[in-house]
Amino acid sequence: MARPFILAAALMLAAATSSAALAQQAAADRSMSFFVTSRPIGDGGNLGGLAGADAHCQALATAVGAGHRTWHAYLSTQARPGRPAVNARDRIGTGPWYNVRGEMIARDVAHLHGDTLELARLGNNLTKQSALTEKGQIVPGLEDFPDPRDNDWDYVKTTPNSNRHEILTGTQPDGRAYPSDLDYTCDNWTSNEDPEGQASLGAAPAKPNAQIGFTDRNGGGNGSWNSSHGTRGCSQYALPRTHGIGMLYCFAVN
Amino acid sequence: MTRTTSLLTAAALLTLSSVFTAIAQQRAQAPMTFFVTSEPIGDGGNLGGLEGADAHCQALATAAGAGDHTWRAYLSTQARPGMPAVNARDRIGDGPWYAAVRRLDRPIIKSELHGDTLIEAQRGSNMFKRYTLTEKGELVNGIGDPLPMRHDILTGSQTDGRAFTAAADHTCNNWTSNAEGSAQVGHSDRIGNGNTSWNSSHATDGCGQADLEGWGGVGLFYCFAVD
Repeated sequence: MARPFILAAALMLAAATSSAALAQQAAADRSMSFFVTSRPIGDGGNLGGLAGADAHCQALATAVGAGHRTWHAYLSTQARPGRPAVNARDRIGTGPWYNVRGEMIARDVAHLHGDTLELARLGNNLTKQSALTEKGQIVPGLEDFPDPRDNDWDYVKTTPNSNRHEILTGTQPDGRAYPSDLDYTCDNWTSNEDPEGQASLGAAPAKPNAQIGFTDRNGGGNGSWNSSHGTRGCSQYALPRTHGIGMLYCFAVN
Repeated sequence: MTRTTSLLTAAALLTLSSVFTAIAQQRAQAPMTFFVTSEPIGDGGNLGGLEGADAHCQALATAAGAGDHTWRAYLSTQARPGMPAVNARDRIGDGPWYAAVRRLDRPIIKSELHGDTLIEAQRGSNMFKRYTLTEKGELVNGIGDPLPMRHDILTGSQTDGRAFTAAADHTCNNWTSNAEGSAQVGHSDRIGNGNTSWNSSHATDGCGQADLEGWGGVGLFYCFAVD
């Protein structure tokens, strides 16, 4: 683990000894192009569709001085009559993407998703320490403030350090949309409905649901950043029952 | 950010003990068959070979009341004249494996562990920080935790769980060197070095105990029950 620190030191030395223009170029290249939303839209799985989610990313980025880039939410939508599916992986540009501290999350789309066995086994660099909000905050995860009440939105919304590590994606592990027979996207991010009665995890017939991944790579039996399991429903109150509050990954496409 | 993190840690510590107690009471149905060694052997990359490492696993397991299983260290050795390579993945039985404190319904599944199919590799396994516990059920300190960091776990293995085939040393001379050489390590918290690999994140620069500690580890390794 010493290597990143050595690299960082080497980069600083190199920057100091190279021309100012080069240093500015290096700084520009590593400016923020990825973040986790510091807050949810707040209406469960109803994000106002992809357009509403993108606008949320853009607004949060603008508030921290990154509005000059075009921001898209990492979300898929499923095929509907007359409308083809949209894959999250096709919405986010080509990378590389950096967090607010200039740490690389992934080199490109193939690295982010592990398109080959070797890439997938090694993994990308989206971790609890790097998956920061646009304000530079760590997203509280499975190890932080464990409390039975952290499944209750009324508690979670006033307890900013409680576990909220589930990020809405509606996406399969490869970054693509699910087939259209079951709901993985809260009806393409327009629904805040819950199923009747006690809902199981994951998609089921006539069950509103959203697929999620983990910022801290802890949970669900696999720790996937983008596709671990489903929610219990699509209302704002349903999301915290499995430790999410409706936050999104945002990527700059330019 | 520093203040937030320390506040989080303090609060987490306060509430953890009661959570541990509650969950420990549920675990009787799934005996521990996987752990990270709570302590290293302490001589850098010299583990006394695979036999020495296995004996360390067995001793720690026995002290924790799990000596009725046969334990193997998750380590590969490289081919030498007259000695074929040994793959860590072939030493550990078939699983599934459970940690000392059972926090999740799902155990560690062998094919997921090594990502044998693309979707398994993309999604990952149950090997994450809340499950890579010591035989005492303790978390292993990683990035973001109080120092010293202990998250570099000796494996000598490639991401698929097999030995390296090139001549370069990845096993501290098949776990007999405490000076020259290098060991491939994974991260118990799956953070560091630009990847999230639990078993093959980077190589150490040297095999001495101090060399290991300079890289964020102390010489811990994974132990699996084969039966």
